[in-house]
Amino acid sequence: MVDVLFDDIFRVEKLNPDDKKYFDKVTRIEARSERFDMFMHLDINSEVYPLKVGQKFALLLVPTLNLDGTPDTGYYIGGNRHSLADNFEYVMHGKLYKITEDSTRENVEVLISFGGLLMMMKGDPSHCNKFELDQKLYLLMRKV
Amino acid sequence: MDRNRAKGITFTKEPYIEDAGPRIVKSMKFSSLSDSEIGKLAEVQVFKGSYYDHFKKPIPGGLLDPRMGPANKELICATCGGDFAHCPGHFGYLTLALPIFNIGFLGTIVEILKSICKCCARILLNEDIRKDRLKKMRRPRIDALAKAELAKKVVEACSKVSMCSRCGYKNGSVKKLVGSLKITHDRSKCNDSSIEEFQTALSHARESRLTSAVDTHILNPFQALSLFKRMLDEDCELLYLAERPEKLIITNIAVPPLAMRPSVIMDGSQSNENDVTERLKQIVQANAHVRQELEEIASLRSLDGWETLQFEAAQFINSEVRGIPYHQQREKTMAGLVQRLKGKQGRFRGNLSGKRVEFTGRTVISPDPNLKITEVAIPMLMARILSYPERVSHHNIEKLRQCIRNGPDKYPGARQYRDASGSTWTLRVPHRKRFADQLKFGDIVDRHLEDGDIILFNRQPSLHRMSIMCHRARIMPWRTLRFNESVCNPYNADFDGDEMNLHVPQTEEARTEAILLMGVQNNLCTPKNGEILVASTQDFLTSSYLITRKDTFYDRSTFSLICSYMGDGMDLVDLPTPAIIKPVELWSGKQLFSILLRPNANVRVYVNLTVKEKIYSTKLDDKKREMKTMCPSDGFVYFRNSELISGQLGKVTLGNGNKDGLFSVLLRDYKPHAAAACMNRVAKLSARWIGNHGFSIGIDDVQPKEVLIEQKDKTISDNYKKCDDFIAAFNKGKLELKAGCDAAQTLETLITGVLNGIRDTAGKVCMQTLHWRNSPLIMSQCGSKGSPINISQMVACVGQQSVGGRRAPNGFVDRSLPHFPRKAKTPAAKGFVAESFYSGLSATEFFFHTMGGREGLVDTAVKTADTGYMSRRLMKCLEDLFLQYDYTVRNAAGGIVQFCYGDDGMDPAGMEGKDGKPLNFDRLFLRSQAICPSDEDDDILSPSDVHEVVQRKLSEVGMCKLVKQEASADDSSAGFVNSLQSFVKGKIESTEPSTKEDSEKLKKFIQRISGITRRQLEVFLDICLSRYHSKKIEAGTPIGAIGAHSIGEPGTQMTLKTFHFAGVASMNVTLGVPRIKEIINGSKKISTPIITAILETDNNPNTARIVKGRIEKTNLGQVAKSIKVVITSRSASIVISLDMERIRDAHLHVDANIVKESILHTPKLKLKQDNVKILDIKKLRIVPPDGDRSKIQFQLNHLKNLLPSVVVKGIKTAERVVISKEEDKEAKTEKFKLLVEGTGLLDVMGIEGVDGLNTLSNHIDEVSESLGIEAARRTIIEEIKVVMGSHGMSIDIRHMMLLADVMTVMGRVLGITRFGIQKMGKSVLMLASFERTSDHLFNAAVHGTEDLIEGVSERVIMGIPIQIGTGMIKVKQRLSPPELLQGTPPILSYV
Repeated sequence: MVDVLFDDIFRVEKLNPDDKKYFDKVTRIEARSERFDMFMHLDINSEVYPLKVGQKFALLLVPTLNLDGTPDTGYYIGGNRHSLADNFEYVMHGKLYKITEDSTRENVEVLISFGGLLMMMKGDPSHCNKFELDQKLYLLMRKV
Repeated sequence: MDRNRAKGITFTKEPYIEDAGPRIVKSMKFSSLSDSEIGKLAEVQVFKGSYYDHFKKPIPGGLLDPRMGPANKELICATCGGDFAHCPGHFGYLTLALPIFNIGFLGTIVEILKSICKCCARILLNEDIRKDRLKKMRRPRIDALAKAELAKKVVEACSKVSMCSRCGYKNGSVKKLVGSLKITHDRSKCNDSSIEEFQTALSHARESRLTSAVDTHILNPFQALSLFKRMLDEDCELLYLAERPEKLIITNIAVPPLAMRPSVIMDGSQSNENDVTERLKQIVQANAHVRQELEEIASLRSLDGWETLQFEAAQFINSEVRGIPYHQQREKTMAGLVQRLKGKQGRFRGNLSGKRVEFTGRTVISPDPNLKITEVAIPMLMARILSYPERVSHHNIEKLRQCIRNGPDKYPGARQYRDASGSTWTLRVPHRKRFADQLKFGDIVDRHLEDGDIILFNRQPSLHRMSIMCHRARIMPWRTLRFNESVCNPYNADFDGDEMNLHVPQTEEARTEAILLMGVQNNLCTPKNGEILVASTQDFLTSSYLITRKDTFYDRSTFSLICSYMGDGMDLVDLPTPAIIKPVELWSGKQLFSILLRPNANVRVYVNLTVKEKIYSTKLDDKKREMKTMCPSDGFVYFRNSELISGQLGKVTLGNGNKDGLFSVLLRDYKPHAAAACMNRVAKLSARWIGNHGFSIGIDDVQPKEVLIEQKDKTISDNYKKCDDFIAAFNKGKLELKAGCDAAQTLETLITGVLNGIRDTAGKVCMQTLHWRNSPLIMSQCGSKGSPINISQMVACVGQQSVGGRRAPNGFVDRSLPHFPRKAKTPAAKGFVAESFYSGLSATEFFFHTMGGREGLVDTAVKTADTGYMSRRLMKCLEDLFLQYDYTVRNAAGGIVQFCYGDDGMDPAGMEGKDGKPLNFDRLFLRSQAICPSDEDDDILSPSDVHEVVQRKLSEVGMCKLVKQEASADDSSAGFVNSLQSFVKGKIESTEPSTKEDSEKLKKFIQRISGITRRQLEVFLDICLSRYHSKKIEAGTPIGAIGAHSIGEPGTQMTLKTFHFAGVASMNVTLGVPRIKEIINGSKKISTPIITAILETDNNPNTARIVKGRIEKTNLGQVAKSIKVVITSRSASIVISLDMERIRDAHLHVDANIVKESILHTPKLKLKQDNVKILDIKKLRIVPPDGDRSKIQFQLNHLKNLLPSVVVKGIKTAERVVISKEEDKEAKTEKFKLLVEGTGLLDVMGIEGVDGLNTLSNHIDEVSESLGIEAARRTIIEEIKVVMGSHGMSIDIRHMMLLADVMTVMGRVLGITRFGIQKMGKSVLMLASFERTSDHLFNAAVHGTEDLIEGVSERVIMGIPIQIGTGMIKVKQRLSPPELLQGTPPILSYV
């Protein structure tokens, strides 16, 4: 079975937290999770997957899309194979490039780059145990 | 050498002696020729001033006598039989009827005459002094400079002596008569009875015309010659004359050989003679005239002809000699011998130091991004002309055969063919096929250039060593030289019609040396400061910026297509997993760059860097931390193991002039090859991508939006209002003055500040309102071209125009243009342009704009000449400095300039850190953390472990000694080791786990994410230590030349801004090229001397004011209430009463006693102690010194006028003192220091309240005098740094240190000028090739200087490899002497 790194439902609180639209096709969303109370900034391609304030979505972070949980080879094979992505609407692939503690040392920040689309998740360290530096991972999203 | 060995054997024939190798000129001695030597040297006596006879044959004994060589191509030399091309020429001589001065030695002749007795010809020193001086002169260690100095002192001493101690003759002063070539002996001042006697005798004579000048008579060459002949050798030595002084006077002229003055036959019967020949003709004629006059024995007639002869001979040597009467000068200027040598086109600079070469080409250049950065495309036309001599071998024989068959006109052909015996055949013959068949191994074929040949490529002006670099040839069609735009920067080339040169090295040695030392790959960095110079420019930056935008996504086909762009589709590319997999597969532009760096898994390039781009927002997040990668505008570039995590790439990452950019990192962490390959890929990708994408500017790009127009109008009207208020206040006189300014200056600064604000705000609004697709905006954001100011000038507002750093000056009476009312100070009347280039300028605005524009043009025109000359001087002065194997910096003669280059022996080209630090620890630490991921099993180090690892690693490389003895000063690595240790210490502290009792698991987690593993630390230390050692500068590096380039080249870029405010608005400091010139010249007088006085208590404005009062010059007029003339019946005097209130207000502590002292110390007043009387504490009376009673009125008035200017307090040379306030925003404290305009460093340091130890001056000469030479050196370094820094240029401190050391190494400050360089103990040839060629040569001849041909200039002149770099090494081989066969002894033998 797939080893899920993180699974929660988020609610979009704000689009473009800086109140300025910098990019046409990319929107930064500010979201907060319901279960773990995680705070998140996430860049999404709003052209292919628009989100609005107040919408809720399920977010899953997994190291592989294979249904049986075999790890990725590192090489991309496209095609319409059955995978974990079938149940989700929006899937991105990226790399975890930084884990830091907050200045208060209470929260942990996890930073992931999906080919330049960044994700910053902040919250209690206990929920981020499975993350590791330089981990390749998939982000799967589905509106609920 | 072999002759000694061959001595025992005697040969009947000249024995064959094996060639001992090429002989080189070891030294060169300068001397002059005596008349007999000239006679012996010559082949023929010349006595006729004619050229050819009627049959076009040169007349024997004439100036074209065939014994001096063939005069033209038709003739043959009568001495050696050679024809025009082969005869080296032979000298003739010309005997003069009367001796004349050699004009080049006239100065020396005068000096000798000054120092000898005009009667007995002995030196005018008494015996003791003479012996003492002679002993000094004969000291074995004395060098030429000191000797010249001594001789100068002797002359000085002698000219003060009038009575000859030997014969008792009274000597007058000897002078060169101004405006002629005569020397006078003025005896009017010596009261010799003989003169009086003579005068009285003459007064009785009938002819009165002679009486006028009996006491001053002219020393003619004949008299001088006879005096010189009688001089003793010892006296000559005392005057530093190497040879007999009579050689300085010409009796025989050496007629130069015809080879140097050929005669050109014109079509008619006319022949065109060389200038020198024509001059000689004049001399011959004048000589004949003198001879005739002598024969006529007109005893009373003055010899006019003699004078003419002197003039002609003088002009033969130097046609620009002063003192020739106007009627003697010809309308056509004919060059003399000196003119042939001196100047830019002269022999020294034009032919000896710079030689013309073959195998070169020059055309227009154009760009080609498809070429590699190391390549240059050569047009086929050029490739057919240029050739390379390739030796035939097994590998290339077939290729060369084909080349020979093709001949000189078909492209891969050959021009010439040489076989082993050395005979040469041109291939412009039909039977060249036969040559091709005959071709053997070892033959040499001059084949056309082919792909991969090594080429030197150059663009003038060659300001630094990267102006000539080595490329590989690519033979291409069409007619321009092409290269990758990334290489524009080092050449400073653009493609608006620039032309460039190329040279083809002709030997394998030259090629190897060229590609290794001058190859583009090995010169990616500038030695100026270690920044990268070859990097992406212009369109490459724009397209990289657009590609890496956050919202560029590509589908599979487009992404693959773009991937194939960067490697011509030939590279293996691993397609990465798309950034967005669902709903559609989309790859981001950033993934493209990850591929560009690391196309497939086999490429082992792991780049790690962080860069803040221009667009990085400085906003802080909610926790007051920098946003870093999460920057909303995506301005933080982060590469992690060759993957672009975040950031939009722009100039900071890809461009030149940065130390932490992508290419710098590739260059340092991998090889130059990796950086070059990456640049190639970027160039190809960008050029092709932008060709498809399109990028252009239209009128709509500069149309302002409604919002912008509104905002702009509002700010302009607001600020105009402000200006009007200021003007109104000024007119009422209510303006609050700024420190050190008067009302008009204050108004100007205020208005200028407001107006500059307008453009800034307009620009800011403008940048905000523009759409992100706006092309100018994109270009300015990514740094490829243009700045926000340029955009806002086009869109919003052009802004204030300035001329000479001020607003537009008044060209009319009280106004700038007649469109405005008189004395108008409004923004519009003084050159503020409110319109934009889009909206168009009004007539007056346009006029002001052209004024500003013209200033820029004039300034650049003037500046190029200035900086060019400065570079030349720097280069001449520093050219022979290079690094020895013992890390000392020495000049060619072996004199030490620095004991360790730059105090640490590091190569400035390799410096990675800021401020010339060898390494950037932060980046290396990041890198070692990224390339060694922390595994579960790897232990996290505790602080004590870290310390232990550091110690162990240091001791491994033998640096442990440094660790124990904290910074042993003698080792240059100590600084590095210390900085490394403190860096590691800082790292541990920042990551130390919190002491809070967290759960064990959490603690572990935190450690895992922020701790250092053993492996990471070891890798980090290994990288640091090994790289540090590889950054040591190599022995043989021509540091002097590099330093001269590094200081000279930035000079050309310094624009306009010549003034700058030293902390206070009113205090201007000269900056830019003029200031650099002052520093380098070692000027005694500089335009803005400023002393920065640090206060002992620097936080109190009142103490600052008190100290200011102590320093500032205060006149009596400023503190006196009145200065009155009081005349009573008995006496007349001046009464001064002091304004005590004012004095107290200004904290001056002046009273009558002090005033009295200062009056007495003013020599101009000529007052004595008893002239000044103190009445009480604030009153003085001055009684004029007793003199003529009738003049007392005048005296009093005179005193009254002078007294107000008496300095009562302060330093006379301190013109003005300004208090400068420095605010520390964080600590909320104010610091005060004083800026003293003027000189007098010692006095300022001595003032109470001034911290003398920290007080500085920018006047180098003064610092040298008051604080010593080391302080002067420091000042030079600091001052150059300040000037360069103010123009935003960073130059490695090592270069400035070297320059400062050269200027101070002789123990006093020597400027880099003709005077300074002369005193640096350079050789004659070098000095002659610099400036004042003839003076140095004549002096060398007088002193008999010997030149050892060591320096760079001398060796270039002599055509010998220079002793720098690869020329420094000589191979010494110990060979057993070859056995010579002993033959039977010959019957006859010679010695």
